[in-house]
Amino acid sequence: MLFSRRLMLGLAMAGALAFPALAGEGPTEVDLFFPVPVDGKLARDMGTLIKEFNETHPDVKATAVYTGSYDDTLIKTRAAIKAGKPPAAVIMSANFLLDMQIENELTNLDSLIAADGSTKEKFLGQFFPALQGNAVINRSVYGVPFHNSTPLLYINADKAKEAGLDPSKPPQTWAELTDWAKKLTKRDGDKVTQWGIAIPCAYDYCGWMMETLTMSNGGRYYNEEFGGEVYYDTPSMLGALTWWNDLIYKHKVHTPGATPGPAVSTSFISGNAAMMMLSTGSLTYVRDNAKFAYKVAFIPRNVRNAVPIGGASLIMPAGLEADKQKAAWTLIKWMTSPEKSGWWSRATGYFAPNMAAYKTPEMVDFLGKNPDAKTAVEQLDVAKPWFATYKTVPVRKNLEDEVMLVLNGKKQPKEALAAAQKAADETLKPYNAETSLKLP
Amino acid sequence: MSLAEPAALPVATSAAPRLHLLKRFMGRFRASLPAYLLLLPSLVFLALFTYGAMGRVFVDALYQRATPKAPVRFVGLDNISAVLADPAFTGAVTNNLIYAVGTAVPSIALALLFALALSRTHAVSSALRAALFLPVLIPMVAASALFLFIFLPNVGLLDYYIGRLLPVLPNWLGDPDIALYAIMIITIWKNAGYYMLFFLAGLQAVPEDVMEAAHLDGAGPYMRLRHIILPELKPTFLFVTVIATLNAVTQVDHVFVMTQGGPSNATNLVLFYIYQQAVEHYDIGKASAATLLTLAALMGLTALSFRTMANREGGP
Repeated sequence: MLFSRRLMLGLAMAGALAFPALAGEGPTEVDLFFPVPVDGKLARDMGTLIKEFNETHPDVKATAVYTGSYDDTLIKTRAAIKAGKPPAAVIMSANFLLDMQIENELTNLDSLIAADGSTKEKFLGQFFPALQGNAVINRSVYGVPFHNSTPLLYINADKAKEAGLDPSKPPQTWAELTDWAKKLTKRDGDKVTQWGIAIPCAYDYCGWMMETLTMSNGGRYYNEEFGGEVYYDTPSMLGALTWWNDLIYKHKVHTPGATPGPAVSTSFISGNAAMMMLSTGSLTYVRDNAKFAYKVAFIPRNVRNAVPIGGASLIMPAGLEADKQKAAWTLIKWMTSPEKSGWWSRATGYFAPNMAAYKTPEMVDFLGKNPDAKTAVEQLDVAKPWFATYKTVPVRKNLEDEVMLVLNGKKQPKEALAAAQKAADETLKPYNAETSLKLP
Repeated sequence: MSLAEPAALPVATSAAPRLHLLKRFMGRFRASLPAYLLLLPSLVFLALFTYGAMGRVFVDALYQRATPKAPVRFVGLDNISAVLADPAFTGAVTNNLIYAVGTAVPSIALALLFALALSRTHAVSSALRAALFLPVLIPMVAASALFLFIFLPNVGLLDYYIGRLLPVLPNWLGDPDIALYAIMIITIWKNAGYYMLFFLAGLQAVPEDVMEAAHLDGAGPYMRLRHIILPELKPTFLFVTVIATLNAVTQVDHVFVMTQGGPSNATNLVLFYIYQQAVEHYDIGKASAATLLTLAALMGLTALSFRTMANREGGP
């Protein structure tokens, strides 16, 4: 029976391993899921931030959990909610909030704001108005803006001067930008050795750039008030996509095909592209790596100056216990306070959503040294919400797949946008069946 | 048994052997009880994390919600027919077939070539074997990140050298006509060294005396390859083909890292389609249905291959 005694011992050990010791009394433990969407040392900075929080808040023990990209963070959050163990707080891509709210996965923050003796208006009033659209759904607060961005035009100032252009007067309209791009494109026979401009197009970035171009062409990407409509087959978007297509095939100043964000920034840094449109989130990366003088400017307009915001908000998943909710709320308020907001902005390149951050002495000092960081903040005056619909990602992909075909010369803008609209309407159908088309 | 004697005989004698069988079974079971007990921990974990999950997929594939707020309801095979009717799925299947053939054939051919060239062990061949095996040691995700930079349009390593020769540089991952082939190159690069190992092992099993006899009979290198080595390697071929096909369906790390299925779904493979349904569309029913279809296809393929293999092994 030696055999079975050993077996029993083995089973006992397996049992001991399977049930870890239960946690004792102590500070409320909360998990914070955070993504790292851009190049850089964000994970280390987040560690520093949370350590400081834990030192100053003995009754809460927060743990920062790295969860990959924005998309991965959504997956992991949803998996955790399904498993009945939601994280107390998540830094969530700002345009996923609506979809999560439709799926009943978010905690409504109104009562927490009221419990602090504040009002919705007062609470939201801390943040730039452009950011509120993605945080408020059906007049309730579901997210707190944490780090945000807008698209910018980056210009290689050295190359501009070489081409006889004045980088202190960057192009303001599409016509001027086209002209600049032509002058900045260098050819060696049929071969292009330097491209005038690069605009990224990969899943996620492509939709954001389409929204950027459409908005500066006077249009809207989606219905800001209702998650069941997108406006793909419209003159403003047709103009936007046709211009992008023309930059490639008519003016030949933009690489053919769809180019992902990192390829665009590498191309700019290496001098292969003289201008690029990219997120403010890449500003720190460009500042650290460019071996030439560069200049950032507003996205040029065709009809009006307007850009979408990007970035992320802090959210609380639904189904949290009361003590965790309270602890997470403390953490969220601390992280979005002017001082911390400003600190995070200087570390990452995102702008600080809390307006008071720009009045702190550290921030005034920083902007004095890095005037390029100011452009993103100034552009906020004309910024609008990021598209968010029912099933944001598939609806966005419906457009992106067609745009990629156009950029590769396989489809004309008009038919591509009609196809995108048809596909998106199909994706949105179940939601409309339940809302706008559910009639008495 | 003749037709004149109907079922009488079996009925009369059936009781005793059955009892006998039961006894024998019990006896065997008792004898192997410790073995089952030893297997129990693994069985428990397999049940929890493998069979449990598979069972869940079966169940999930049968349910769907009509609208976002509606409760899930039983829909039977509707999810499966929805998946089959989805052009994105059929596109992914087509891509996956091209990908499977386009990666399995070249990587197996290369692997055989490498194995034949390096079958004798000496210092140089050992070093070369190690070099060819190196890509296997690099995780697919890391390799994809590396190739992301090699494939960068205009400024990447590949374009830097090819750029001197071509007037228009290909946008390797941004052009729907090329992207799938770019992805295939990585898979071939990564797997050829791995399959080489199997062929090296297979070559060790080629009987030395037969080779010698053939040599004495005046068979040249080609004759020996054609009539001795290749027939002897048949089981290895089958095994490697099965592995390569499975890899073509189960490895999508590079798609995930490099293209996300794009541009315009040109590199969307079946497993990535399942991921998209589950995560982006948040449609667990359709994702489960697609998983079931893939599982069925894979199991059918594997069963077929191993049966062929068993037949050849067992046959004269």
